[in-house]
Amino acid sequence: MSVIISFPEMSKDESAEGVLATWFVKTGERVRVGQIIAEVAVDKVSLDVEAPIDGTVTLLVEEESAVRQGTPIAQID
Amino acid sequence: MTATLTETEVGIRRLTTAKAISEGIAQEMRDNQEVFVMGEDVGPYGGIFGSTGGLFDEFGASRIIDTPISETGFIGAGIGAAVEGMRPIVELMFVDFFGVCMDQIYNHMAKIHYESGGNVKVPMVLMTATGGGYGDAAQHSQCLWATFAHMPGLKVVVPSNPYDAKGLMISAIRDDNPVLFMFHKGVMGLPWMAKNPRSIGPVPEEAYTVPIGKAAIAHAGSAVTVVSVSLSVQHCLDVAEALEGKTSVEVLDLRTISPLDRESILTSVAKTGRLVIVDEDYKSFGLSGEVVATITDVDPRMLKAPVQRVCYPDVPVPYSHVLEYEALPTRDKIQTAIEAVMKG
Repeated sequence: MSVIISFPEMSKDESAEGVLATWFVKTGERVRVGQIIAEVAVDKVSLDVEAPIDGTVTLLVEEESAVRQGTPIAQID
Repeated sequence: MTATLTETEVGIRRLTTAKAISEGIAQEMRDNQEVFVMGEDVGPYGGIFGSTGGLFDEFGASRIIDTPISETGFIGAGIGAAVEGMRPIVELMFVDFFGVCMDQIYNHMAKIHYESGGNVKVPMVLMTATGGGYGDAAQHSQCLWATFAHMPGLKVVVPSNPYDAKGLMISAIRDDNPVLFMFHKGVMGLPWMAKNPRSIGPVPEEAYTVPIGKAAIAHAGSAVTVVSVSLSVQHCLDVAEALEGKTSVEVLDLRTISPLDRESILTSVAKTGRLVIVDEDYKSFGLSGEVVATITDVDPRMLKAPVQRVCYPDVPVPYSHVLEYEALPTRDKIQTAIEAVMKG
């Protein structure tokens, strides 16, 4: 099974841009369901992103890059 | 202990220091109904530096207690709860604010056990944010750990990384004595602060302890000993790695300031004969002088060269970014000090 993880909808402004503040994992690493894989922020409000399934993670955006809400940020296989 | 992560490592759970601290508190709270948290913005906000993140959702307002801005009142209440058998964790938002509540800390928290002839215990953790580097000026950027280590009666722990922070927090909660838990804002791994990559690291999921009063060799070496604490340890490790193949640097992370692990300092300096101390607290009358005395009290002949101290100069913390970094212990200054002590 493969799951795409998107940047969470944190602001009602759909065009709001966030930042991928911190990656806690690297491409190729095994993650477990519920494990924090990233911390993201929009307008200085931050949120943890957890792995929805067990699997191997592939990161799709760089740390500290600006990301639109809803954009895919990682894939877990 | 301070692991450097490589691309080949897989399946490691990493946390920021902030999340590691709150996880340690949560695990102790699940096991022990006597543990509770009190302080300014520790509730729904999760602590302004994230030290109590998520705790309010799990434990609610009766065990994660937001207080008014009245440090004497809520630290005093924590001491009262502790002598009655509770295990409070009280947060003083910035250590710089100690001035308004020092009577509670020094004359009560630190002395009740002694003055009661050992009959009354104060099993309390006073957690507080320290350090600068982000333009918060003279009243919100000090370290001040030596101020608390100076007077008898308090244990003072100063972690440099997520693993030690969780383990020292659990040790502090379980300790029957008052423990000052001082986290540098720069080691918390906060998204809105300057990035210090070593503030994110592997943390075991289970509860574990790191012993209070025990230093750790964060980077083994043979030519020079660099003694440091807190965020400065991260800078020392960067320099030690940059000098690999040129100068063999041993970085000793004290982790606890009181009680000071003098044996580890003596063992390392006996091996290297050269000593650099890196401390973001004020230089005079503080930790760095105490580390030097640890050597000279035993045998000054251990030292092959004069000691170098990279500490905060005896001035208030400037607001200006340029001036602040002129004063802070930086990687450049640490490297210069190591080179000087190697020539000496």
